[in-house]
Amino acid sequence: MNRPLSLVAALLLTTAASAQERYATRTGHISFQSETPLERIEAHNHKATSVLDASTMAFEMAVLMKGFEFEKALMQEHFNENYVESDKYPKATFKGKVSGITAEDLKQVGSKEVTVEGELTMHGVTKPVKATGTMGLEAGGTIRARGSFIIKPEDYNITIPGMVRDNIAKEIAVTVQVDLARL
Amino acid sequence: MKRIVILIALVAIAGAAWYAWYEYDRVAEHTSELDAVETIDAAALLKAYTDDENAANARFNGKVLLVTGTVREVKAPENGLVDVVLETGDPLAGVVCQFAQADVPATLTTGTQARIKGVATGLLMDVVLQRCAAVE
Repeated sequence: MNRPLSLVAALLLTTAASAQERYATRTGHISFQSETPLERIEAHNHKATSVLDASTMAFEMAVLMKGFEFEKALMQEHFNENYVESDKYPKATFKGKVSGITAEDLKQVGSKEVTVEGELTMHGVTKPVKATGTMGLEAGGTIRARGSFIIKPEDYNITIPGMVRDNIAKEIAVTVQVDLARL
Repeated sequence: MKRIVILIALVAIAGAAWYAWYEYDRVAEHTSELDAVETIDAAALLKAYTDDENAANARFNGKVLLVTGTVREVKAPENGLVDVVLETGDPLAGVVCQFAQADVPATLTTGTQARIKGVATGLLMDVVLQRCAAVE
């Protein structure tokens, strides 16, 4: 099988020994909200892939743009066809590093405030982003991470037509929720 | 004559306003009501994506597919959604069909043969289909 190995896949295909420090999910939840006086727009994607290497605190995510679901079909069509051009740019990816927590912290149940800094690639543009949130080990053995950050559509060359410019916020709030299981 | 013109104009404006509101408020149709553009086996679908992801994206993404295969796993509900994973022969990758919890028939269990319609969204670790509906 001629599958191109992304770093996410490469992380999953490591040896059993090194995999002990790695946690992953295929069902991460990413949502975003645009809030203006005229309209509130929200979309959800429950199929984000995410990997955390606890030995280095490297953190990666990937999401399919067509997987974002909106309340209204027209919004979803405009999002895919006019804004993020998901036929041309089907995925968004994030590669970064978590600070504020260590591999030792993740061996004990509890949660800590963390910062995740890295690069988000979307619509063919890569920009640095910084998210804040919490991360910690749950009693069941999964690592629970919650965070949020702000992006500006214009930073990713996403053009909003003048007719709906007042309906879409200049800053979009992105929320990330992942529960990572040990590989 | 003038009254007729005004009446026609008002009817046209009301019609346009109704259509604009209808379009704005429209929700996605349930996949069970939509025709599949292609019927494909789960293993063949994964192979199409892994052989040439760009070509598969163009061929499948955003389209309703009817995927056939053996159910590898029915995952526990999460956020009102249930993932049904179809066997592909690759232990690291499946075809994941995301259902609304209420749409999963009780007959869809591990090991059964399934025919599932869903909207293809692309390949991550698995091929992902959303808004899925089981086909009798």
